[in-house]
Amino acid sequence: MSPLRTVITGSVRYRGREGQLAFILHRLSGLGTLLFLALHILDTSTVYFFPALYKEALALYRHPLFMLGEIFLVAAVIYHGTNGLRIALFDLFPRLWRAEREKPSVYTTLAVTVVLWLPAAFIMGRSLIGHTFLGWE
Amino acid sequence: MAKVTLKIKRFDPQREPASWWSEHALEAEPTERVLDLLNRVKWEQDGTLSFRRSCGHGICGSDSMRIDGANRLACKTLVSELGSTITIEPLLGMRVQRDLIVDLEPFFAAYRTVKPYFISDAPPPPDGRERLQTPAQRLRFDDTTKCILCACCTASCPSFWASSEYIGPASIVQAHRFIFDSRDEGAGERLQVAGETMGVWRCHTAFNCTLACPRGINITQAIGEVKRALATGRVE
Ligand code: FES
Repeated sequence: MSPLRTVITGSVRYRGREGQLAFILHRLSGLGTLLFLALHILDTSTVYFFPALYKEALALYRHPLFMLGEIFLVAAVIYHGTNGLRIALFDLFPRLWRAEREKPSVYTTLAVTVVLWLPAAFIMGRSLIGHTFLGWE
Repeated sequence: MAKVTLKIKRFDPQREPASWWSEHALEAEPTERVLDLLNRVKWEQDGTLSFRRSCGHGICGSDSMRIDGANRLACKTLVSELGSTITIEPLLGMRVQRDLIVDLEPFFAAYRTVKPYFISDAPPPPDGRERLQTPAQRLRFDDTTKCILCACCTASCPSFWASSEYIGPASIVQAHRFIFDSRDEGAGERLQVAGETMGVWRCHTAFNCTLACPRGINITQAIGEVKRALATGRVE
């Protein structure tokens, strides 16, 4: 099997536990954020090269799908950061890498992510609804 | 006695190029081990079924395989721990030679890179007996002496799936066993290997290795300790 196929087979079918889940989410949120940042740098660069295009890029950001995507982007960034802190802390004190800590630490990470994300999701969700349905400017 | 179905992933390049599944219905005691069931399939139903096993008691590390999705030793897995359908596949990320037998040569090549043997220029003690260490010094690396090189950990690691060049958790466990041994003087050489691109930094702490280890070694912790030794330059 090619490495890519092995990774996909393993990620989907290997019966890992919370650690594997945390790892997969970390990868996906990292790649998602990277993709968004790359896009964002590209579209912001149009302000210098093609100012007319920049206006269109801004309009794109107001598209409901894009706004929804941004809400998830915030979740990805917060998760990636929180989980990164968990890993950094555990690597600082390797004794924390024990089976009995794995589940509580991953669940705590997820809980912290949700708590930090909810206010942002609320504010952004409100503006999504406002712009899409209530004609906000 | 309970009825169980064994679903085994098969591969025999001399018979056909693609893998297939074989199913075997058996009556099994809850106290039987998966290895017993595999033996019965081989002896009573299909003599072509191929798998490795030797000691049958969790010592030699031959019969590592994916049982119901996770790596384990067939000889240490009881029927009572599993459901009525048991799925058995070869280890992931290693070339399958036949049925449940994978090519472990690259695994042992990686193992050899960390110099898994005692290194010391110090002359042996004058009485010609063993080199002494305190119980605390011995305890420092006790956990990693338990490894039986079954490859359950390495084949459970997402980083290893992505790149078989990664030396893998088992090799790092072996490196740890000597790096933290007060009698050994090869820590520098071993840390150099561990610090390379395909060394410890490939570990992204998915934790599958620790859960897969049939000897209960705290592998992610051991890898973390090697990482810390590299980062601080101190072996403690
Ligand atoms: S047969 Fe030796 S470890 Fe299972």
